[in-house]
Amino acid sequence: MSTAHHAAGALPHEPEKATLEGKNKILGFWFFLGGETVLFGTLFATFIALRNQVPEGPTAQELFNLSTVALSTFILLTSSLTSVLATMALHRHKLNALLGWMAVTVLFGLAFLGLEIYEFTEYVSEGHTFTSSAFSTSFYTLVGFHGGHVLFGVIWITLLILQGMKKGLTVVTAPKFYVAGLYWHFIDVVWVFIFTVVYLMGKVG
Amino acid sequence: MSAHQESSSAAGQRHRHEGPKNHYLSYIVSIILTMLAFAAVIYGDLNRAFLLWFLVILALAQVIFQLAYWMHMKDRGHTYPILFLAMGFVTALTAVAAAVYWMWW
Repeated sequence: MSTAHHAAGALPHEPEKATLEGKNKILGFWFFLGGETVLFGTLFATFIALRNQVPEGPTAQELFNLSTVALSTFILLTSSLTSVLATMALHRHKLNALLGWMAVTVLFGLAFLGLEIYEFTEYVSEGHTFTSSAFSTSFYTLVGFHGGHVLFGVIWITLLILQGMKKGLTVVTAPKFYVAGLYWHFIDVVWVFIFTVVYLMGKVG
Repeated sequence: MSAHQESSSAAGQRHRHEGPKNHYLSYIVSIILTMLAFAAVIYGDLNRAFLLWFLVILALAQVIFQLAYWMHMKDRGHTYPILFLAMGFVTALTAVAAAVYWMWW
């Protein structure tokens, strides 16, 4: 256990909730996630309403390749596990394990993004561009917005790792790590609905 | 001093955190539910309406598991987080229902 990183004396067992500020950050973050739920809900609503409006360009059934989607799903699911392992390391005050699991999470996030970029370029080459149909526009808006969230998470967590290396684990830095973990899980939760509603239901028709 | 800290925090964790077992379990459940959903679409010879509802139920089950364990919603002191997400979900569901109603009927 890296007691050298403790700011002043022993850290409490759940350092992210040790101060009122930390508690408020977590509560406020849940409120933000409630708003994010509405945001993605409206994007899903638009997509579900328009998913069969394909006057030109390929349809969902012709387009989607389920093995790529299964691989993306597996990557993101595993990254959600590694981010919960980071939160467990946080509760055990193990800074190196926390930063290590966060770094693994970032790597999985980058792999997911790379796969999504590859997928989108494939689609564009098959005539599925942003403006080709109402289906394609709502598809890229929904899935791209999720990808944007992954990108934001990758940048955010990378910066947190750098800050953690500099400042260590304190009651000030702990809520940041905890909240970033919640964000990453939320991204995975949204992806569960995306692979179900967009890809699997798209294949079903 | 440091030995005392280690032993006190290790003892504190034993009754506060149940260890990674539940998180691994939640991961395995998520993988199984995901594979079931993909298999039902790829190999399943199912009635379309049944298949769609089956996929929705699998997704909801997986999301509930992840919210409860990975996002710690099952732990104490999560009344407001549950309230916030539930309100968000009701609003999102209303949006989906409205869009589907306007476009499909």
